[in-house]
Amino acid sequence: MKQKVDPLTKFFVKLLGNEKHQKFTIPVFAIVLSLIVGAVVIAFLGKNPLSAYWNLLQGSGIAPKARYAGGKSMLTDFFSFMNYWTPMIFASLSVAVALKAGLFNIGISGQMLTAGFITTVMIGYSTLSAPIAKPLVIMIGLIAGGLVGGLIGVLKYKFNINEVVSSIMLNYIAEYIIAFFINTKYVDPVSRQSKAVSDASRLTLMNVQIGDLKFEIPLGIILAILVAFFIRFLFEKTTIGYELKAVGANGKAALYAGINVGKNVILAMTISGALAGIAGVTYYMGYFASIQPKVLSSTGFDAIAVSLLGNSNPIGILFSSFLITVIGKGSTYMSSTAGLDAEIASVITGLILLFSACGAFIQYKVKRGKDRIEDAAKQAGNGKEAK
Amino acid sequence: MSDYIVEMKNITKKFPGIVANDSVNIQIKKGEIYALLGENGAGKSTLMSMLFGMYEPDEGEIFVRGKKETISSPNYATQLNIGMVHQHFKLVSNYTIAENIIMGVEPQKKFLGILPYVDIKSSNQKIADLSKKYGLEVEPTKRIEEVNVSIQQRVEILKMLYREAEILIFDEPTAILTPQEIEFLLDIIRGLRDAGKTIILITHKLEEIKKVADRCAILCRGKLIDVLDVASTSTKEMANKMVGREVSFETEKPEAEYGAEVLSVQNLTVRDENKFEVVKNVSFSIRSGEILAIAGVSGNGQIEIADAIAGLAHVSEGKILLNGKDITHYNIRKRTLEGISYIPEDRQTYGLVLDFTLCDNLALKNYYQEPFAKKGIINHQEFEKFGEKLIEEYDIRSGQGNKTEVRSMSGGNQQKAIIAREVEQDSSLTIFVQPTRGLDIGAIENIHNQIIEERSKGKAILLISLELEEVMNLADTIAVIYNGEILKTAEAKSLTVKEVGEFMMGVKSE
Repeated sequence: MKQKVDPLTKFFVKLLGNEKHQKFTIPVFAIVLSLIVGAVVIAFLGKNPLSAYWNLLQGSGIAPKARYAGGKSMLTDFFSFMNYWTPMIFASLSVAVALKAGLFNIGISGQMLTAGFITTVMIGYSTLSAPIAKPLVIMIGLIAGGLVGGLIGVLKYKFNINEVVSSIMLNYIAEYIIAFFINTKYVDPVSRQSKAVSDASRLTLMNVQIGDLKFEIPLGIILAILVAFFIRFLFEKTTIGYELKAVGANGKAALYAGINVGKNVILAMTISGALAGIAGVTYYMGYFASIQPKVLSSTGFDAIAVSLLGNSNPIGILFSSFLITVIGKGSTYMSSTAGLDAEIASVITGLILLFSACGAFIQYKVKRGKDRIEDAAKQAGNGKEAK
Repeated sequence: MSDYIVEMKNITKKFPGIVANDSVNIQIKKGEIYALLGENGAGKSTLMSMLFGMYEPDEGEIFVRGKKETISSPNYATQLNIGMVHQHFKLVSNYTIAENIIMGVEPQKKFLGILPYVDIKSSNQKIADLSKKYGLEVEPTKRIEEVNVSIQQRVEILKMLYREAEILIFDEPTAILTPQEIEFLLDIIRGLRDAGKTIILITHKLEEIKKVADRCAILCRGKLIDVLDVASTSTKEMANKMVGREVSFETEKPEAEYGAEVLSVQNLTVRDENKFEVVKNVSFSIRSGEILAIAGVSGNGQIEIADAIAGLAHVSEGKILLNGKDITHYNIRKRTLEGISYIPEDRQTYGLVLDFTLCDNLALKNYYQEPFAKKGIINHQEFEKFGEKLIEEYDIRSGQGNKTEVRSMSGGNQQKAIIAREVEQDSSLTIFVQPTRGLDIGAIENIHNQIIEERSKGKAILLISLELEEVMNLADTIAVIYNGEILKTAEAKSLTVKEVGEFMMGVKSE
């Protein structure tokens, strides 16, 4: 039987066939593919897709805009982009830690809110000076989130309650109890949100004048990148990480090997919750300075997708969260400049996630193509020998 | 017209890296039991998957009833009256037996002449008739999850018969059955042949072939070695052809030299989740240099004894002493450190983390100790060094050595990896549960020799096996368990196979 391999297959195999690089090439391929499909959608709406994408970059401070308002420049835009990016990194790392241990933390938004509210009340409304207030905010946020996460772990281990169910329920509990307290005690009658926290306690330095530019400086971003590398270290280089991964990959084998499964379930959820807690304080006491009652931030849910896109790898997450944040943050500018609805950004994000979810399928297809090329090469070789 | 119901000519099938079938020719007569014998990976299942339409051959032709056919899907194979019972059953566990059987070919009736519904009543009846006809008793209204594997297998057979299959393929049907169930199945297979069906039996168990098959094709590394008439060939001859070299059935075993008592189990009682006593007041002890085998039919409490000693099951009553120390309330890790190695029955669920690499799995019990880790920081080089050493010493074969994902390894090599890890612990007690389940003759021989070697080193060995032959071959002392109780403990030499078998069935007791 003669087999012919079409040039298209050959092209894709050459592009993606290297198994060592597939961890990287396949997500990139998925992203490119989704941007192409997104471009088609934009073209259908009668707009120029390239300029729309360019607008996204401009809005995130990665490409220069045509003109800037007073005190603004590309650099200030990029700083405010980072301000938005910071909680996304923490939240996505939170998802990744739980996933590695075989758990699904869908309660990140609730943990963020809890940490944000507790720090707002304890530190945000205090008169503590900045050098004391800011570290305290992070510490208390971390502890508050960790406790909520740990509670989910304990419920799972002691009472075998599925963590998805308990974390969703805790989301509601946090949402409504906190809304009650904000509405009865801490509400700002004008904005209908909680009263703004003190500048001393806020993790983003607002309106910092450098030259004639005004910056928002998110202090959390440095911490976020450090924490990403720390999480990688934890999983690659420590026995704690080895145990968490073993519990996640096969709980029964971990038990058999003498690993304390219950301890690791609780530990994983505590770490995950603590990261969500930091995400919460960088969100409610950094990016924002107040809490809108009865609303859960979408960051905690988007983080699930970001984490999957980054293959639950902490460094991958830095890239995937960057990308998703560019699209989210740049969408406002895109809608005002290109006249496209800001929701188109969600469409593109959705497409990216859809195509990255097909990663395994793409990998399979490439492998099939590769095998066929090898077969064809072999047959050609045999044919020559026969002659 | 040819005399053969199935002919496969010059079949070649390649997978990346291996040739699964290399121009294989087989011809099967109507109404015979045709066995396909070969080691794991010899290409038996691949060959039959092509007949059943799951793969298409790269080269070669298939003739069914003298007519050339391109079998492109299992559906088409079913149309040709070919049926297959897979090694891993394909059943929906929360459907009833009848629902599973009729799935895909549901008889329909119309309520009030318009609303179609599945006529489960008539199919229940039809299934009951079928099961009576072939002696395959099932209750059509029971759910799959409520019945044991042997019944599930009957359901798979009924599924084929319901679809009026004439050519029945059985892929390793006895791998999961107890000795009694095997006997029963072989009777069924004979009955089916007598009813005019053609049967293809894929197996690597020689006794079964000897018992039921008419002819036997031997495959080795994808090539057809020979087709033998079973009645006139000895099992030894078949085994040699299958492995490609001389095989010894009897394991060479030096005289036992017993030392001090290593394990002492005293009045052990284990209860399951429903507070039911699965192990009842069991006592035994093992000395160093001794192999104690617990013989018994599956599900009589022997696994629970092993789990209780290793710490995976809770001890309800009684005591476990290791080298004189009471370890009854130790956790699993502490027991491992005290000197217990455990080769569990289910190697994929308990023995290995399938998504981890080989070297990560080989260090599964030592990862936290020096030199693998210091103060909680892992040293990957030590993992790799240890992995390479074990791969070399225990001949663990895999695609990419240390870096191979264990999931992609063959069952035999997975087991080798577990045994390597556990033997390397240098524990005073090693528990082997079903160490050779699902492995081929070459691998079995290897593992048996390893067990004997451990004994020679003065280890105490607890062997739990459903294979009576294995027990008789290896054990110094045999304890027979029935219904959670040990009915008989005696020196292996003083017992005959027949006696052990009778105790296993609970027929005889003291």
